[in-house]
Amino acid sequence: MAKHPDTDLVPYLRGELPAADRERVARHLEECPDCRQDTEQLRDLLGQLSRSIGQPPEVNWAHYRAELRGKLEARRGRRVWWWRPAPFLLSASVAGALLLLVAVWGGRETLTGADPFALEEASIGRQLGLLQEYQVVERLDLLEDLDVIRDLDGLSSGRQG
Amino acid sequence: MAKRDEAAFDLLVARYQERAYRLAWSMLRNAEDARDLSQEAFIRLYEAAGSFRGRSKFSTWFYRILVNLCLDHKRKNRWWKLWARDEGDDWTDPILERQPAPVTDPVDKLSRERTMKELGAAVDRLAPRQRAAVLLRVQEDLATYEIAKVLKCSEATVRVHLHRALTTLKKTVEKR
Repeated sequence: MAKHPDTDLVPYLRGELPAADRERVARHLEECPDCRQDTEQLRDLLGQLSRSIGQPPEVNWAHYRAELRGKLEARRGRRVWWWRPAPFLLSASVAGALLLLVAVWGGRETLTGADPFALEEASIGRQLGLLQEYQVVERLDLLEDLDVIRDLDGLSSGRQG
Repeated sequence: MAKRDEAAFDLLVARYQERAYRLAWSMLRNAEDARDLSQEAFIRLYEAAGSFRGRSKFSTWFYRILVNLCLDHKRKNRWWKLWARDEGDDWTDPILERQPAPVTDPVDKLSRERTMKELGAAVDRLAPRQRAAVLLRVQEDLATYEIAKVLKCSEATVRVHLHRALTTLKKTVEKR
């Protein structure tokens, strides 16, 4: 006789076994009276267990949720103290370092007599984005020149007429 | 957290609060601890909501948080409990009051109630993971693969847990 399928009996009772395993256990149960008896006992035991575990004392669920909400708020409050200073200090340090860098660079450029117009243009360009395509803007002059050249014939015929 | 997340969390609490409290109570047999740990499980859930990947059922994920909390709690309190011998546990009476279907013969009824009580006490004496496996099966009606996910072990291990636990419990019933 094949090995007793001890650990398969609970899944078998619950109908969880794959078809092949289910057939194997069923065949074994037909041949093995001990396992058959075990299976019946397990079935009864599982039924009894669900009743024997009992129910916990009653709970006021509104109060339970309010208490939970309070605990959650308290936990968040604790987080505020523990978590917030770190990013705040970090961002303050970074901002300070950037300001210092800008001051040093700005001072250096003023001292070297940089073109104020170029500085202004660069500043506007950063804001507008258009001046980043400066080459295209320059070509617009060429297009205007083409228009003028095209109209030259008309001008000359106008003079003639 | 956004308002809609708060609303979703409230909905989850309302949906799982009874199951969470009942399972925690079944594992700890103490109403105050069950209340406290089930609430803690919800707080952990709130904090870790972003890490839920949807690979397993939400309930399985939540049970895992709760069962781990209960197992940790039992581990931490083992020595204290041995000394205080379950003082404050509210396990003793409630089953008797909640038994179904009155049995006609009072002697038979008494015997039946005693069996239930002894069986319940035997469940309490099981090793923590065996007990968790039995409760998840019998009380929460979880399948073997779900219990395996909750307990973070293989299905074969769950089957062994269940087999050993039920063999022990069967002996309790047979003694009578």
